[in-house]
Amino acid sequence: MGTETHAPITPFDRLLKPVDMVLNWARSRSLWPMFFGLSCCFVEEATAITSRYDIARFGAEVFRPSPRQADLLIVSGTLFKKIAPVVRRLYEQMPEPKWVISMGSCANTGGMYDAYSVVQGVNQILPVDVYIPGCPPRPEAVLQGLVMLQEKVAEEKPARSIFHLGGGTQGTQRPVLADGDTKSRDPRGPGMERIAIRGTSVTPPEFVGSRSDLMWSPPPAAAALSNGDHRLAAELTRRFGDVLRQAPETSDFLTFEVAPDSVKQVLTYLKTDATPRYRRLEDLTAVDESARRTRDAYPDYTLVYHLLSFDPACRVRLKTPLTGESPTHPSITDIWPSANWYEREVFDMFGIRFAGHPNLRRILMPDHWKGHPLQKSHPGRATDMPPYTREDARILQPRDGDMFLEEAVDAEEMILNIGPHHVSTHGLMRFIAALNGEEITDLDMEIGYHHRSVEKIGERQTWNQFIPYTDRVDYLAGAANNLPYVMAVETLAGIQVPDRAQVIRVLLSELYRLSNHLVYFGTLAHDVGAMTPTFYTFREREMILDIVELITGGRLHASFFRLGGVALDLPDGWKTPVDNFTKIFDRRIDEYESLVTENIIFKMRTQGVGTISLDDAVDWGVSGPNLRACGLSWDLRKAFPYSGYDAFDFEIPTAEAGDCYARYQVRVAEMRQSLRIIKQAAEQMPPGRWVTDDYRYAIPQREDMLKDIESLIHHFINVTRGPRIPIGEAYASCEIPRGEQGYYVVSDGLGYAYRMRIRSPGFPNVQVLPMMARGNSISDLIAIIGSVDYILPDIDR
Amino acid sequence: MEPVLNPGVLSSWTPGVFGLVIYAMAVIGLVAVLLFLSSWLGEKKPNPDKLRPYESGIIPTGTARLRYPIPFYQVAIFFLLFDVEAAFIFSWAIACRPLGWLGWFQITFFIVVLVAGLIYIWQKGGLDWGPKPTRR
Repeated sequence: MGTETHAPITPFDRLLKPVDMVLNWARSRSLWPMFFGLSCCFVEEATAITSRYDIARFGAEVFRPSPRQADLLIVSGTLFKKIAPVVRRLYEQMPEPKWVISMGSCANTGGMYDAYSVVQGVNQILPVDVYIPGCPPRPEAVLQGLVMLQEKVAEEKPARSIFHLGGGTQGTQRPVLADGDTKSRDPRGPGMERIAIRGTSVTPPEFVGSRSDLMWSPPPAAAALSNGDHRLAAELTRRFGDVLRQAPETSDFLTFEVAPDSVKQVLTYLKTDATPRYRRLEDLTAVDESARRTRDAYPDYTLVYHLLSFDPACRVRLKTPLTGESPTHPSITDIWPSANWYEREVFDMFGIRFAGHPNLRRILMPDHWKGHPLQKSHPGRATDMPPYTREDARILQPRDGDMFLEEAVDAEEMILNIGPHHVSTHGLMRFIAALNGEEITDLDMEIGYHHRSVEKIGERQTWNQFIPYTDRVDYLAGAANNLPYVMAVETLAGIQVPDRAQVIRVLLSELYRLSNHLVYFGTLAHDVGAMTPTFYTFREREMILDIVELITGGRLHASFFRLGGVALDLPDGWKTPVDNFTKIFDRRIDEYESLVTENIIFKMRTQGVGTISLDDAVDWGVSGPNLRACGLSWDLRKAFPYSGYDAFDFEIPTAEAGDCYARYQVRVAEMRQSLRIIKQAAEQMPPGRWVTDDYRYAIPQREDMLKDIESLIHHFINVTRGPRIPIGEAYASCEIPRGEQGYYVVSDGLGYAYRMRIRSPGFPNVQVLPMMARGNSISDLIAIIGSVDYILPDIDR
Repeated sequence: MEPVLNPGVLSSWTPGVFGLVIYAMAVIGLVAVLLFLSSWLGEKKPNPDKLRPYESGIIPTGTARLRYPIPFYQVAIFFLLFDVEAAFIFSWAIACRPLGWLGWFQITFFIVVLVAGLIYIWQKGGLDWGPKPTRR
């Protein structure tokens, strides 16, 4: 715009001016955005469509699922290196003229994700017209971006270009930027390349000269073991002798160190013969020990197995030392089928191989990736790596669809690729289905398109700095995500949380559960063909987000919980909007249900579709409402009551059938239970502190910080270099809306986690999708996807 | 003002070859102009990715010309067959009385043959299509 120099204006050009005006008027007022989203930002973009914001007022409500029908690409969210080739192709496949809006910090610059898997700004591969700042920008910001684009379109001169007269401008004119030439990824701006951005004391993996080394902190909290734990420990020692050693101290639950060769026998025993039987493989991960402060005390890698017993509710941890650069270890896929993806992830992230694994290949990173990201030697920041260019996006294509399904697909079967960009995949995920006619004979998934490197980021952000990243792990569950993380660190350091903070945490978690289930309700109904419910559920979702905003200041990403409490006290007048909401919401659920629950079309599309048996669900590690829909009354809020949930009166809804309809029923019933909890929390909100007075770890309350020198010092230390959390490990898990999300934090006595492992509900829940889908028709797959309620950042992390 | 000698020539109400020719030329002309304008005015910047079929953003796999199972097509064909049957029965019904008993026997024979065909198709499983839940 404005840069091209024209010959003197001729009378002919004056003639074209009204043509330009008419064309620009028509174009700017009927922009057709593509229905395309990358991550959190898209939720706000989609909210802009719904009734409160009503993007139709700006003539841009026709969101098209195909690039062929769209002229506006809103890049909403984090641009991952794995998805960048796809985004570039979608842009190319749009007809001319076309425009690009970059929405949100991640799309603009990489934002808070300066991480190995993220492109630091979409302008490195696409030309961008308008940038919308924010993380995520509010729906109003989307509307403003749209208006700015309309103003930009109004200045274009399309007539000359359209009539083939030479010259003229239409569509995006700005160039794609190149790092070091037309843009700089350096946060300080260009010209500082020779000076290191950060000192060695904050640079992983060594943190040379970290001032945390000079600090003292008490030993980690010690957990008291139950009688059952002692019996099990005695029995295991009797059976397996010296291949197994019980860890003398633990902060959370029973822990054993097992020799690598015997781990399979021990696991088999724990699953089938032990009392109690540990029926679920809760998590399987590894720790690269090569950057420990006391290197000699550790092996090269430690494999960590977390197991769960349902009755009585308890957990056990097995740790196995491995030595070598890329060691090989026996696979346990024959004991737990769900280990399949976990072992692939460990292979992908650490380079540890598993002997006997049926299909050991990368799962999160693209095939061409060099190195294993969670090894301590792998760079963590994208800015420490060469910039991602348009040429990379052209060459590094996703794996071909033929290379997925292992069993030979016969000649009459068609391989259908669904995603990564598809309206029905609910995010960046790719399904590869083998179809016989309309029947799904086999299904495979490719994940990792939304891999945001959170676990690696956790190794370089201080304990408090990491909290905003947890919100974004499941971007529809907001602050409910903070809870397992802060609980894990609190367990490790033995931090006591005041009552008021506990209840505030419960209140917010349940509000987010409602908000999430409302999105679920709308999208599932939409997936099976009902447009209307979305508009109703998003109406009440806005009420909830208003309450959340009043309390926390944020909408999607509240980042409100802190180690030892919450960030702020409840504001004046918080109770009125909560009461206004709880008064009406029961009737509103009735209203939604009257649209859907007994609807014959909805029933026929969901009943008996995507069925999974309880045994399979347990074996595959399914959790949350999906597990309860198979008939098991299992909810962490009751099984391991945390954050004071035992003081609340509520029930665990279950259903028996294990099909899509049962999953729907459970969630609707859960909304009513959450409403009960919110009512009780609002009524019984205790007075008192909202953050612990143990300021060694917590960020002090503002008033204390301003009045008291000790608190000021703690504030300074904990905000800058971060608290020093004792050397040890802890696992804590919460019932977030989608299931059980657990954090396994390992501390080496620094201001940062040594290893930050996220056990997400989506990862195992999605792994069973082929079992649910096989034998159903292709249209049922959409209902199954909608009913399982997964979210990509939580699967890929 | 001279009166028009033959008022029917330019009237669209009286059938005539002249009106038809004008109409046909108008249609052809309009279509040609529309096609030309949309092709000439539209901006074209072809590149390999744009010309490739759209498949959720990735490079398509395999060929689109495979031997596709045809159960739906079969059902559609059977439907057509029995639809044609209706055409015969309706025309018989209109002329039912003049055709008399002979006509009645003929149409009954016709229907019986078709019903036998339907039973045969049914037995052979020609009407079953869609996923078979047993294959899970």
